[in-house]
Amino acid sequence: MAATRLEGKKALVTGGSRGIGRACVVQLASEGAQVVLVYQASRDPAEALVAELTAQGRLVRAVQADVCDAARAQQVVDEMVAREGRVDILVNSAGIVRDGLMGAMTYEQWREVIETNLCGTYNYCRAAAQQMLYQRGGSIVNLSSTAAEFASRGQVNYAASKGGIDGLTRAMAKEFAPRKVRVNAVAPGMIDTDMSKAVRGLVGDKIKEIIPMKRIGTPEEIARVVAFLASDDASYITGQVLRVDGGLSLGGY
Amino acid sequence: MPTKEEIFERIRGALVEALGVDEEEVTPEATLVGDLGAESIDFLDIVFRLEKVFNIKIPRGELFPEDVLTNSKYVADGRVTPEGLAELRKRMPFANLDEFAKNPVVQDFGNLLTVADMCRFIEGKVEVTG
Repeated sequence: MAATRLEGKKALVTGGSRGIGRACVVQLASEGAQVVLVYQASRDPAEALVAELTAQGRLVRAVQADVCDAARAQQVVDEMVAREGRVDILVNSAGIVRDGLMGAMTYEQWREVIETNLCGTYNYCRAAAQQMLYQRGGSIVNLSSTAAEFASRGQVNYAASKGGIDGLTRAMAKEFAPRKVRVNAVAPGMIDTDMSKAVRGLVGDKIKEIIPMKRIGTPEEIARVVAFLASDDASYITGQVLRVDGGLSLGGY
Repeated sequence: MPTKEEIFERIRGALVEALGVDEEEVTPEATLVGDLGAESIDFLDIVFRLEKVFNIKIPRGELFPEDVLTNSKYVADGRVTPEGLAELRKRMPFANLDEFAKNPVVQDFGNLLTVADMCRFIEGKVEVTG
């Protein structure tokens, strides 16, 4: 893989301090992109990551924002245009789970997940798209989940938010395709992050048995696919939701 | 503060960049969709460019009220209803809707907006000198 595939590109990554978003920041930066990462509460991990990558000679900075705040999203993008000059890549990775069986789910649990995962993705897509349209080019990669298509108990909120992201991705891709702005999504299966640890705590290691590859994926395995979709190597791909799940979604027996 | 000529010049520049048309094609009478080939996505880009060159904020949907034209309250059988026409006149005081009102087929609406309409729209937003 070309270490400089993303040389000169300016990337914005939400949820960039932890989990898959963090791996995306590392991957994009290692391929030469200048990265602005957005974190909400995890200031220490965000600053540690910036320090680590800066020490390697990468250009990375962190900004605090709640992705639910649309006005703040616009501000983050405007600041990036003022400081970095453009927005070539947007990765929407900010996401949360608030699992609960539907009968016991509070409206607050539902709302929080929809607002962070789906509305947060919309907010950054909308703010960045305008700039990408103006630049006549850009690539957006949204983090979906196999949970959008394959049912898990206790996840009506999460599944709905990720299904919404798939629809947003396809509809937006069609709107912006004539102006060279591509929009795709990656749907990870079971990945080794803090978020999935909670779920795995419930199900146990059994989960590996239902994954054809018999192992949990790493955030880096998702980040490499995100970087590919973000890069010009994927120049003819738009509106796609790409499953990266070790075969989990294949079904059958 | 720009003069009317300067407003036209800047709009022409924005349209040349957004639509990839030649300067000579951008006349006051030219329609954005019919003559200059603008697609709906271009309106977003045009509005963004106008905001930058005039340093103003333009609420989305003000120049091209797509929300009215896709609202079942204002459209029946592919035609804009009298209520819809009233709403359009209210929203687009800069445009001449008289011709469109004679046969208000929604599909023809895009072909109505001219460069001159756009100049009037901007003139209403900035202080004009001269």
